[in-house]
Formats: sequence, C-alpha cells, structure tokens
Amino acid sequence: MSTRVAVVGIGQTAYRAAADHLYHEHDYEAARLALADAGLDRGDVDTVITSGWDAVDGRTISDMHTVMSAGGYLKDASHVGEDGIMALAYAYLRLAAGLFDVALVSGHGHAESSFETVSSIVFDPLFVRPLGESHLVSLALQASAYVQGYGISDEQVARVVVKNRRNGAANPSAHLRSAVTAEEVLASAPVCYPLRALHCPPQSVGGVALILGSEEAARRITSKPVWISGIGWAIDSYDLGSKDMTRLGSLAAAAERAYRMSGITDPLEQLDVAEVHDITAFHELMAYEALSLAPEGGAARLLEEGTTDRAGKLPVNSSGGVLCTNLYGAAGLVRAAEAALQLRGEAGPRQVAAPRRALAHGMSAPSGAAARSDCVVVLEGG
Amino acid sequence: MPRRVAIVGVGLTRTSSHRADVTYPELVYEAVSAALAQAALEPKDIDAVTYGSMDPFDGVFAPERWNVEACAGAGATNLPLMKITTGGTTGGSTALAGYYHVASGLFDVVLAVASQRVGETVEAQLVLNTAIDPIYERWLGGGAITIAALQAVRHFWRYGTTEQDLAHIAVKNHENAQRNPYAHLMRMLTVQDALQTRLISWPLRLSDCCPSSDGACAIIFASEEQAKRITDRPAWVIGAGQITDNYWVGDRPWYEDWDSLSLLARRVYRQAKIDDPLRDLDVAELYNAFSVQEIIEYEALGFCEKGKGGELIRKGVTTMEGQLPVCPSGGVLCTNPIGASGLIRVAEAALQVMGKAEGRQVPNVRKALAHAWGAAIGFHTLMLLSSDVP
Amino acid sequence: MTQEEEIIVIPGRWDLPFRHTAGRVASRFFHGLKAKRILALRCPRCQRVLMPPRPFCERCFQPLDDWVEVGQQGTLEAFTICYARFTGLPDPPYCLILVKLDGADSALQHLLGEVALEDVQSATQRIQIGMRLEALWREEREGGIKDIKYFRPVA
Repeated sequence: MSTRVAVVGIGQTAYRAAADHLYHEHDYEAARLALADAGLDRGDVDTVITSGWDAVDGRTISDMHTVMSAGGYLKDASHVGEDGIMALAYAYLRLAAGLFDVALVSGHGHAESSFETVSSIVFDPLFVRPLGESHLVSLALQASAYVQGYGISDEQVARVVVKNRRNGAANPSAHLRSAVTAEEVLASAPVCYPLRALHCPPQSVGGVALILGSEEAARRITSKPVWISGIGWAIDSYDLGSKDMTRLGSLAAAAERAYRMSGITDPLEQLDVAEVHDITAFHELMAYEALSLAPEGGAARLLEEGTTDRAGKLPVNSSGGVLCTNLYGAAGLVRAAEAALQLRGEAGPRQVAAPRRALAHGMSAPSGAAARSDCVVVLEGG
Repeated sequence: MPRRVAIVGVGLTRTSSHRADVTYPELVYEAVSAALAQAALEPKDIDAVTYGSMDPFDGVFAPERWNVEACAGAGATNLPLMKITTGGTTGGSTALAGYYHVASGLFDVVLAVASQRVGETVEAQLVLNTAIDPIYERWLGGGAITIAALQAVRHFWRYGTTEQDLAHIAVKNHENAQRNPYAHLMRMLTVQDALQTRLISWPLRLSDCCPSSDGACAIIFASEEQAKRITDRPAWVIGAGQITDNYWVGDRPWYEDWDSLSLLARRVYRQAKIDDPLRDLDVAELYNAFSVQEIIEYEALGFCEKGKGGELIRKGVTTMEGQLPVCPSGGVLCTNPIGASGLIRVAEAALQVMGKAEGRQVPNVRKALAHAWGAAIGFHTLMLLSSDVP
Repeated sequence: MTQEEEIIVIPGRWDLPFRHTAGRVASRFFHGLKAKRILALRCPRCQRVLMPPRPFCERCFQPLDDWVEVGQQGTLEAFTICYARFTGLPDPPYCLILVKLDGADSALQHLLGEVALEDVQSATQRIQIGMRLEALWREEREGGIKDIKYFRPVA
C-alpha cells in the first residue's frame, strides 16, 4: 500500500580535514549538487529533513540554519538528532505515506569541536560520565570483548584497515587517500586498547545530500532511479553491562527488518556491494556478523578469503569507508550516497562490476557502543 | 491517500521547577507507563519510538540514549527509535514523526516521547544563548525573551495592543492551570497582580513569561485497525504539518504577524477541511511561551482578524466558558519543559477529544488544534485532531 | 514508598571549547567593519540586500557574491529593554534592537546606546519605532560584530 521510494539525486562535497565554511554551508553545497544531479530546483522539493548533533556543531537548534541550507525556506522540514541516514529513513516515511513527493535530506561533518569531548556528555552524569566514558572508549570496550571472545588476532583486524585505505586511495572524493600496510597499522599509536590510531577514522568535514522521490516523481525526474527496497533501523541498550558486547544487536535487528522488507534471505548471495559504517576496523568485522554475511566469530575469515575486497564476491566499503572519510553526523548518509552511485554505475575508479542490489549501513551513536542505533537500507537499480 | 492514524493513549508527568525526586529515565518512565496504562497496552505492543528533546537543557546530550529503556524497553528489544530536535517545536515535530511512522504503513503502534529537565540547568538562558548565531549575534544578549519582547513592541506599535491585554492572557492561563494537576505554576493571578510583577524585558513582565520546568510526555499513535481495537474514542489525526521560516529575525517583513504560521494554518486547515476555525474548532492548545504570542497566534490561526487578538481575550472568547477555549491546560505560559511542551499540546488536545481531560475538560469536543513554535520564532507545527474518523 | 534520606543533587557543568569559523562571508563583513564600512550582500535573483550578509539567499537558493556597502544610519524596527539579570548575558538594563540600515532590505540585530534606560517610562518615550539611528564605532576594532559599539539616535 505504501508508495515505492527512490533516490533520484546525489550530492557530495569534497571531503577534507578543515573548512573555511560555516557548518551549514556544507549542507548548502551538497544540496545544490544533489538538485543539479536531479535536474531540479528548490521549488520542486516538498519536504526537507536535516540531521546532526547540536552539541557537536556548538549550536543549539542547529537546524535553524541547516534547514535553510537544504532548501527548506517556508517548507515542511524537520531534523533528526542522528546520523544523516536517519534523515533518509524519516524522508522515506514521509514519502511512503503518500503525503509528499520529493524530499531532500542532508547532513554534514564539521570539526569545530572534539567529538570525544562532546560524546562524554551523552553519558549519564551519575554513574558513567564521572568514569571518563566516551564514544571511542565504549567502542574500544566492545572491540576488546569481541577480539577476546573469538580469538581474533591483531593481524586480522589490521587487514580491514589495509583493505579500506587501499580502496580509499582509489576514491577521488575520499578524505584520506593513501594506502597503509599492516605493519603500519600494528605500529600506529595506541589510542584506547585495543584501538590504535589507524583503526580509528579521521574527523572529516563536508556535506552530503540525497533527493528522494515517490514512484511517480522518481520516474518523472530520472532515468536512473535507485529504489529503496528495504529499510530498517533499531537501537541498542544503553547499559554496557547488560548486553552481549561481542555482537551488534541493533544492527542485526535493523538488518533483519530491511532484509525482510526486500525479500533477502541470503545476503551474501543476494547483495552485490555494501557500504558499512566502519567506525573502527573492529566494528567492520562485527558488522559482517550482524549483517549475516558471516557466522558469529567468522568475520575475519570472510575478510581473509577476499570476499569483501573490491574485486571480491561482495565488496564492502569500496569507497574506503568511514576509515577514510568520517563525517560525524553524516557518515552513514555517505554510505547510502556511495551505494547509490555504485548502482548507477557512476562510482568512477571505485566502481564494482555491474551491481544490481546494494546495502548501505549507517550508525547513529553519539555515545559509541551505548544505545547505539543502526540503520540498514537495501537499494536496487532501476 | 495515507493511512488513517489516531492517538490512543497519552501520558503526562507532574511538572515542577526541579523534579529532584526522579532521575531522568525515571521521569520518562512515568510518562510512558501512564500512556501505556491509558491505552491498556504492554511495552511489547509498541513497534517504534520517536523521541524529542532539546538536548543542552538537560545537561545530558542526546538523552534518548540514557533514557532508551524507559521508552518501553526500546534498547533491550532493539526497537526502531528516531530522535527529533527542532527547538521549541521539538515536541510537535516528534508527534509529526510518530504520525508519519504509522501513516507510512511500516508501523502500526508508535510511541512518541518528549522530555526536558530545564530544572537541571542552573541558568536556562545560558543554554538559550547557544542557539544564537555565534558569529553575529550571540554577544548581544538575545534569546527567547528578547525576541518575544520585540514581537510585543511591534504588536503594540502596529495594533495598539496593551500591557493590560497581555495581563488578561496571563490571568486566563493561570486560572486554567489550577484545574490541571500536571501544570507547573498553579497560583491565583489577577490582572492587577500581573501588572505589578517585575519587568523582564520591556514590555514583558514576569507574568508574561513561561517558567522553566522538568517534565515528560508520551503519546501512542495507532493505525486505524489498531486504534479501533484499543479504544472506543481515539483522537484521529485530520491535519498535520510543520513550516520552517528563515533564521534571521531581521529578514521577516512583519514579524508581529507571524505570517509563517498563517501559511501553515492554511495548509493544515485545507487537509482537515476547516473553513472557519473559530466555528469549526472546539478547543485549541497553543504554544504561548510568552503572553503576547497567544494574541499573535489567535490572529495567525484565523481566530480573528489581524490586530484583533487583544479584543478576543478581552471579550472572553478564549476562556473556558468562551466560544473557543484556548489552553485549558494553562498552556506553556504555566508549564514549559521545552522540548516536551509541543508534545504536551498534542497530548492535551487528544485528551480533550478523547473526553479524558478531567477537571479541565471542555464539553463535547469534536475538533482540537495543537500548535508549537520554535527556533528564532521561525518554526511552527500544527496537528488537528477529531473525534470523527476522517 | 517513603524515604527519609535527603535527595542528593550532583552538580554538573558543560564547558565545551569550540572554535567557530566566521567563514568567507562573515570574515569579509568583519574586515569591512574594521575599516568602518558596513557591507551587505545583494541577491542576484530577488535583488534584496541582505543584512547580516550570509552565504546564500534562503528564498532564491542562490549563492551571494554581490557585495554592496550600506549606510551607517538606519531606522529602528523593533526594540526591547532587558531589566532582568541572566548569567552569561550583559548586565541590565540594555536595549536590544533591530535596525534596518539604509540600503539594506533586512534588519540587523544590535544594541542601542546613549539613551538612559533605568526608567522604563522615559526610556520608552524616548525610543520610538521608526526613529533614525547611527552606528558608533569602537576605537579599537578587531574584526567582529562588536566593532560597532552600538547604534545611537541621530542627533
């Protein structure tokens, strides 16, 4: 009964380390690129959803500016305090309800604050914050539980970094465009055991915007619609002490919903390319398992077999992933943009061979492993 | 044609300047359990959650994380949860998100939660100040109160509205709040009292300004099939929308008129087939953080002509006994847990339609309107509810 | 359940350092202020001269690059006088204004000076919407919005 929804426009700015921009100019640039890509102008957009975390931008009600940047003047707009992939989810709901025809979603990464410092205040001030918890600290706790639980070696984890950085080197829009060796990963500075510097993403700046259309609008706008055939999102427990730290429960639940909706029963066979939110190298491995690409504890093997290499059976993060470009607040939406480009056959040097079905995964986790949420989108070419 | 959606349960918490008796998750739990109880639902019946708060006011950033289990155990059962923040409209936007969740056909029963602990902020103005553009304006000492004062100065200048008119608004809301066990300020106030309260930002006095409150609210939205199963008298959503105007206050042609709200009202009235709001609506819950705004909202929402809002309150049209009671709850003027206030407006409107507003019930409500404004007076949300299936 | 112990309240504080770039547009505006010039941007489509200058016109969705100098005098559009003291805000009383500078199509938020504010009656008689104001410059200008000390009534 819901209308089908497609991605009809994609805009990504250059991703980089520092900006001479206001934080919301990233959204503006990306929105203009997406509109140009779709051959639309601001007047053709019915609804706008922006995304991001106010405390990270240092502006309360940050969407007062981002909504205007995304073309939302006097329109029906809203804002998710989440990664941009959740803006996509919200726009999907608005279009699926049949109440709007064309939606623009945007997100940005900006670097006027330290994400770690900001993330510490997501933790409750009574029990956890006084202990020095943060986004990365909690992710490290999870990573250590995972590698110890399954006996994963440092070398196996390093392979994730080597793969993604090699892919990023071939992606002209990636922020980090240099390959690294396993030795360099293993020798990089310890950040937070077991995380070393090269296991962690950079903090990138830039903007990303997607335009979504209802079935009717999509067919009118583009000859290359990328259909959203499945979507699901889920949140995990806040209390790190009361969940299984070796698995990503919210990602597994999100994937299950998205797979059910798009009729996927064997993702490794039915997907052709995937972009996952590798917030650390460890978490890419954990994501394989939550996405049912490998059995629990079996992700390293999948990687070693080359299955997820750019030339493998199911290339994962052929863009270089978050380890090469990390917009805090929109890295997940970048995954969707990259997956859509792959399906259009417009991914340039990072294009994989003729994909028909792609998966994009974004996580929304201001507090790292605590109450982390995940969104999985299954996309299909026209 | 979207699916029909209705509100089937509402939960409110007691509010005060600091709910020191509960931690944040406990406060949210109070609202969510009340909503589940009213709808006679279990946590397992909830398919998804939308959550609204304006983060910095709590001293906890992204508090939906800490509070996740209070939302029907959303973390433990890996429910979909979506966080919404749009300034003062956050609660209204959270309701809209809940509505779209169900309207989309993806979910049948959705919990919309909003919360704020302004009471944990030692000085709310410090937080409000972070909303002001740090490049041009933050040093100025601007904020919600000064913007409302600018609106008042313009309204006085253009339409001759007076301090007495504002006092009448304050008195009406305070009187209503005394019948609402969930209100924060519940004191008797006369026009004379109001005019003697201290000047905050000319021409606004203390009685023209909302308090800072701790509170939470939860609403359950359901699909037609579920709504009919859950309750005999749900509140059907017959119109909904948000509008987002430019940030720059100096770039509005006539900010005393709130044209953006008029534009939104026209869009939503069209959906809900409202021709004459004064006649067709039975009750309205407006976001009156400052007394003058209720007057401007009367005009923008078409309850009267522009410039006649003061006359409407002077004639008693919007009192409990009047033709269109406005804010039987006492409104935001008496209770303001910021990010929750917009959802409380929807909750109060729903209670009126469902006939469950107890001491503050307006007789025979068939259509109710809920409004919120936010940001630098640039955002508005509206939701229209009806006892009749649309 | 009743409990006799007092409720413990833990103090909290956010003190988050940021470095806010003014970006290319506000930087040029601020450099202008340093040189006692007030610059605005004209939208190529709707022709409105936007103050304060911003990177794009929200209505037309066009990037802005057409700098124009506007007047240092303008008309008072709205004002308020703050009498309450708030942590982190200026000491009361202070008068916050919207002033539409000559040649601009939108108003700038700033402060009003040189009017006695202590007594609300006399202050609000003196300050009138529509009155003419002029910018008073600081001697030491650093490239920021406060390079204009305040606006004052034109003598």
